[in-house]
Amino acid sequence: MRVAPSYAVFTVTFAAVFSVVYVLAVENNWALFSYAPATGTFAPLVAPAAAGPTMYWYGWIATAAIAAGAVAGLASLVPESVAKWIWPGWSWAVPVAVLIAFGYLLSGYFLR
Amino acid sequence: MWITLLIAHGLAAFMLLGAVTHQALGVWLPARGKSAAFVNRVRAVPPTSYVNAVVVLFLATMILGGIIYTNYRVGARLTLERGRFWKTFGAFELKEHIVTIGLAVLPAYWYFWRAPLREEYARTRAMLTTVLAFIVWWGFVVGHLANNVRGLGT
Repeated sequence: MRVAPSYAVFTVTFAAVFSVVYVLAVENNWALFSYAPATGTFAPLVAPAAAGPTMYWYGWIATAAIAAGAVAGLASLVPESVAKWIWPGWSWAVPVAVLIAFGYLLSGYFLR
Repeated sequence: MWITLLIAHGLAAFMLLGAVTHQALGVWLPARGKSAAFVNRVRAVPPTSYVNAVVVLFLATMILGGIIYTNYRVGARLTLERGRFWKTFGAFELKEHIVTIGLAVLPAYWYFWRAPLREEYARTRAMLTTVLAFIVWWGFVVGHLANNVRGLGT
């Protein structure tokens, strides 16, 4: 199967944008929807559960996936002359930076 | 049902761990020459043969983990908090975010491992494989640690 060159730009942009938007979504609680596991109910955006804990993780993933999909879709439209200058290493460098950021943000649990 | 899902999650994670570790070893320490030694045969695997398995197993493991997570949230997580197992608690919180970043790199990982392999992407392939291997190992070890605190059916 042949893959279009624009897919390379899409995947690199998707990895970088998803990672950045995800950490921002977690820090600012930009959840697209909320889930209450005790009652099994979903609610749009950030909505504390009526009973038990509220889960925002699925909502953060949805926020990051939609934002990354949209930005990467637009980025994949750039002409090939521009696309060839996009460093493929952004696909791992940005996610690694975000992993380090999460390690720092949650370091309090390991220093107690 | 939760125990069945947890066992399926663990088995999928175990297969994923094997696949991505084999691939990472094949990328960074390829076998030189022919030898029947076990370590050499492990290193001699063609890394491309694991790509689809890694993608499918990563998604399957994450979906199963995502379902089980609801049960963890209302049960085991409270046990970790009440018992003040903060390191295990934090490691599991980190796992939640780390595996999500794995989801972000998965399309690029799949793309750059598509045949024919281009030489200029060799470093990108190696790094994406390493990142995924780290993510999978973290998820596997931390999952076991959390399970040891609040195990199957307890």
